Formats: sequence, C-alpha cells, structure tokens
Amino acid sequence: MSRIAEHPILGPLKPSGREVSILVDGEEVIAYEGEMIAAALMASGRRVFRYTEKRREPRGLYCAIGRCTDCVMIVNGIPNVRTCVTPVEPGMIIETQRGIGRWGGGDHGIH
Amino acid sequence: MENEQNRLICRCEEITLEEIIQAIDNGCTSLNEIKRYTRAGMGLCQSRVCSRLIARIIAEKTGKPLDEIVPVTARPPSRPVRIDIFSPRGCNVKNS
Repeated sequence: MSRIAEHPILGPLKPSGREVSILVDGEEVIAYEGEMIAAALMASGRRVFRYTEKRREPRGLYCAIGRCTDCVMIVNGIPNVRTCVTPVEPGMIIETQRGIGRWGGGDHGIH
Repeated sequence: MENEQNRLICRCEEITLEEIIQAIDNGCTSLNEIKRYTRAGMGLCQSRVCSRLIARIIAEKTGKPLDEIVPVTARPPSRPVRIDIFSPRGCNVKNS
C-alpha cells in the first residue's frame, strides 16, 4: 500500500522528512523521519502490530489518534508505545508486541 | 467473532458484551461497578473506547437515562506517559 499523495481536502501531500531506515521485526523498512511509525508500517503493507493477551488475536490501527492503544508495539525495547502518535527516528527497532509486551523486546516466537 | 454475545466491548481487557450484560444482571448499575466487576475500562486506554458503549448498554438494560449515568472516575495523567516523566530528569524522555 502506498501513501496518500493526493488528498481531497488536504490537497497534494509529500513526505517532508528525509528517508531513513528502521528495523521492523528484524526486517529493514524505509520510512520518512518524523512520520508516525504506524504510517510507515501501513505504507510497507504491514497490518498486524500486536497480538492480544487473552484471545491472541491480531490488532493494528483502530483509532489512529492515540486514544485506543490498539496499535501499541515494542519500540526500542519499550513496550506499549502507541505507534500512531510516535514519530519515526532513524534506526528505530520496532517489534510486534505479544500480550502486554516485555521490556527490552525480543519476544518473537513466544506467542 | 460472529456471535454477538462474544463481541468485544472493552478492546484492551477483551471483555465481551456477554460479560457486561452478566455484570448488569448480577447487580452492577454504574460504569465504576462494571469496571471493578469485569475489568472493562481498566486497560491501557483507560476506558476511552468502551465507556460510552457500556453506558449505552446500561441505559438499554436498566432504562436509566444516558445523561444520568456517571462517567468512570478519571485520574491524571490523561494520556499514557512513562513514569520517569515525573522525575527531575524526565524532560529528556522520548517516545512519550
């Protein structure tokens, strides 16, 4: 999925930050510095940001304005970071969160 | 989930419509009571998503008018922040 280039109300949109590289579950993703992490993930085709604690169901963007906490992931080892309101920084390490997450990250495969 | 009873009302704590209705059937009459009885609204988002839904369910089940249903007790901080924000060195914190 690509980014919105032409918006009916906001007009033409161009990413303002420079291209940087972040690591998402071990894979390199090209993002724009300053855009929200969730935007970079959506643009790279990723829809599942975490799995829930009880039902182990996938979750991704829901409210997209920082209220619902459905899009939380482990960012640079910090769990429960709302990716829809957290800007991309170069070299960020983003990980899919399972349940309530774990400090330090690196919990792939526990699921 | 296809089954309506299994529909999630509180997304954070994964509390279903059935559990909310059960809580009301068991005597809960307010948002705070349902919160303590089921954990709905105690999750990461602090009932930003589910409190209106639950208020509506209470209104429909009990006949109580919506504007008489007291909101859940809200305490600061109003958005999730790391605890070290409150420390003297907290101004350096990112990802908050």
